[in-house]
Amino acid sequence: MNFELPALNRRDFVKLISLSGTALVIGCVPNGQGNEEIKKINLSKDFDVNQFIVINKEGGIILFNHRPEMGQGTFQSIPMILAEELEVDISSVEIRPSEANRDLYGSQMVVGSRSIQTEYMNLRKMGAAAREVFIEAAANRWQVPKENCRAENGMVVHDDHQASYAELVEDASKLPLSADPILKDHKDFKIIGTSVARRDIPSKTNGSAIFGMDITVPDMLYASIERSAVFLGTVVSFNEDELLKMPGVQHVFKTQRTVYGRERHGVAVLANTYWQALQARKALKIVWDDKGLEKNTTESILNTYKLEARKPGVELFKNGDSNKLLGSKDIISEEYITPYQSHVPMEPMNAIVRVANGEAEFWGSTQNPNGIREHIAQQAGIEDPYKVKINYTYMGGGFGRRSMTDVVEEATDLSIKSGKAVKVIWTREDDMTQGPFRAASFNVLKGKLDSEGNIEALEHKVVAQEIQNQTGDNMEAGGQLMGGINIDYTIPHFTVKGVLQKNYVPISYWRAVYHSTNPFAHESFIDELAHKTGKDPAQYRLDMLPEDNRFTEVLKRVMEEAHWSEKKEGIGKGIAICERSGAYFAMIVEVIKGEKGIKPIKITTAVDVGTCINPDTVKAQTEGSIVMGLTAAIKSGLEIENGRIKQQNFDTYKLLELSETPEIVTVVMKNTLPPDGAGEAGLPTVAPALANAIFDLTGKRLRRLPMDLNEV
Amino acid sequence: MPTFSLNINGKDYSIDAEPEMPLLWAIRDYAGLTGTKFSCGIAQCGACIVHIDGAPVKSCSFPLSAVAGKRITTIEGLSENNDHPVQVAWIEEQVPQCGYCQSGQIMAAVALLDQNPNPSDEEIDMAMTGVLCRCGTYPRIKKAIRKASKLS
Ligand code: FES
Ligand code: FES
Repeated sequence: MNFELPALNRRDFVKLISLSGTALVIGCVPNGQGNEEIKKINLSKDFDVNQFIVINKEGGIILFNHRPEMGQGTFQSIPMILAEELEVDISSVEIRPSEANRDLYGSQMVVGSRSIQTEYMNLRKMGAAAREVFIEAAANRWQVPKENCRAENGMVVHDDHQASYAELVEDASKLPLSADPILKDHKDFKIIGTSVARRDIPSKTNGSAIFGMDITVPDMLYASIERSAVFLGTVVSFNEDELLKMPGVQHVFKTQRTVYGRERHGVAVLANTYWQALQARKALKIVWDDKGLEKNTTESILNTYKLEARKPGVELFKNGDSNKLLGSKDIISEEYITPYQSHVPMEPMNAIVRVANGEAEFWGSTQNPNGIREHIAQQAGIEDPYKVKINYTYMGGGFGRRSMTDVVEEATDLSIKSGKAVKVIWTREDDMTQGPFRAASFNVLKGKLDSEGNIEALEHKVVAQEIQNQTGDNMEAGGQLMGGINIDYTIPHFTVKGVLQKNYVPISYWRAVYHSTNPFAHESFIDELAHKTGKDPAQYRLDMLPEDNRFTEVLKRVMEEAHWSEKKEGIGKGIAICERSGAYFAMIVEVIKGEKGIKPIKITTAVDVGTCINPDTVKAQTEGSIVMGLTAAIKSGLEIENGRIKQQNFDTYKLLELSETPEIVTVVMKNTLPPDGAGEAGLPTVAPALANAIFDLTGKRLRRLPMDLNEV
Repeated sequence: MPTFSLNINGKDYSIDAEPEMPLLWAIRDYAGLTGTKFSCGIAQCGACIVHIDGAPVKSCSFPLSAVAGKRITTIEGLSENNDHPVQVAWIEEQVPQCGYCQSGQIMAAVALLDQNPNPSDEEIDMAMTGVLCRCGTYPRIKKAIRKASKLS
């Protein structure tokens, strides 16, 4: 098997080390109090480590990283941090994914843009500690004070001497490691903050990068599964005998998967080739018991949400007493609606699992390697989870969808039933119609202005399902529902309320999660209030934010970059701000009215991600977030008809095209705070900034997504 | 099952499969060339684009029976050393994110530039319509195509 980035297991590590002679091995070890310690480790004995580095006698520096790469460029950013403190050239650091192992590496989940955030300090300390022992080893060897030695470019240098890390590694490995090495000053950074080319990119331009979809293992069957279109339907009967006569078909099984506590049923066709499995699946005749769910539609669900919005809801945030003020007259109130969305990563979901002889193996792309190990072990009744081998590859997009284990559950079930390795491949239609989806929401905002037009009271009520509370009787709305609502605005009386919804449509994490819906309502409404008072919407926001706030800085920066105050004939401008995963961003969208309706022509963003490791990666992530945000704002939205998802494929669930992508300008702010997640910055502000721009140009206010730009 | 002889990247393959099976699966599952991707299966996304006699074709919707005697080029056949001008431009502009759509993007761009070495913005827009990228690499794709047009 040719994986681009082979994940090595511990046996291989030990072998690798013994082959390369004495090495300095520094790991990041959990200390049991939720923190981590940097120390020298012995790989054949110390099992409880997160990421670690090996510096061997040949001068090789290998960084074993414990989180998968999903296309967000962390496999470039992470070695940069290490190389900075270690004083080596970035190209001399090799990065390898570790195998999945929760005991060894803790959580390996890649979600919420957190990879860089968590590793930053650990990596710096590892690099600095190693640099210090190299300097000490050299100073000892030359009998000179270590203050007179410095590290540069993989060497320790003194006025009269110099030695490479490779020459010093044996001595260095015998010295004690400082638990608190001195970190470099920001102003001395040579690598952090520069744009370094990503290493995975060449393999992604010639077809050699391997994704889960590309793997085959010997003696494997392909499975295609017809699942209940109304999600919770059950199988009454199916035409197994007929199908078994079709070319290549080996088995037809009932199967199931669990999605947030609910069993979801289907019928799987297992065949020698994927094409045969697909053909046979088309001939399936399943009688379903749809349990009355087929009566649901988008509008029936929305009507329920509208009725539910009359309930008082749970107060998720409260400042002052907006209840009293908003009970009086002169209230401004508006409603905003967002639909369900599908993740549709370009690589459809897939998984290969082989369960045999009390062991199992998985091959595929995942945001959650440990979850998969545990899931397979439990499902296959394998007591020791480490008898489940996890092989993970590049991911053809995750966006939250690949943090789930449901597809692996299907593959495991079918492998147990057939006794073979089974590769389950979802079709695009499966992917689009089965979910779990980004939650739909109904937002009601109420505001009251004082005599100067300032917001005196504001209430934002979110009516939506909650990912972590989809079933059962608990109807208490949780804090998750208020994601993305900006409570930094100084509003004397400000309440956020949640009314929890439960229904049969499955939901899950989707890029930026609730930040992808709430800010549309919130930042549109703030704009509406600004216009009511006749104030400039950007200044209106600035007036509500404390002076030295990170929001203030990105706002001012984006206003300058996009020449906010210059009005141009025929161009509408809209602004919005948001914070997500610790990253602050402000966005200005510019629109014109063309022959075929409104057209966004330029999107300018200022983004503050704290210390920016690799500006080009932050820019790329912001561009990607904007395209996904624009897709959700003007192109795609799922509808429910007869209890099932109406859109089936990209012919009706449209993605933004190259020709529709406006000019994108991203300004990355300079900042010395620890790095924040950059993977979602830009998505939440697209819809509100666009709606605000459309209002600016046309006086028309769009409050439901996706917006139809041809209709304005 | 009938046998089809295919010429992919200058190499001959003989494949036993149903005539209506799409070329995509012959390339991936029979010839073992996995650079060409499956994503929508209905000619809507472009992940599966290959060249047939130099023209871009969505291989997920092109039956095996129609390719006999034709010259097929996949992403793997573009260059020996990843140095086709479009590949070079793609790397310089740091286009790919997850990378899954990129074989199709590159094959579409190569076909465009072969036909029209100096495309206008509108011509680029047109040629790249129906080649989708969920990661949103479009701004860079545009830049890379312009760069490649200068390189070649
Ligand atoms: S897979 Fe062929 S166009 Fe989408
Ligand atoms: S790079 Fe991920 S889909 Fe295009």
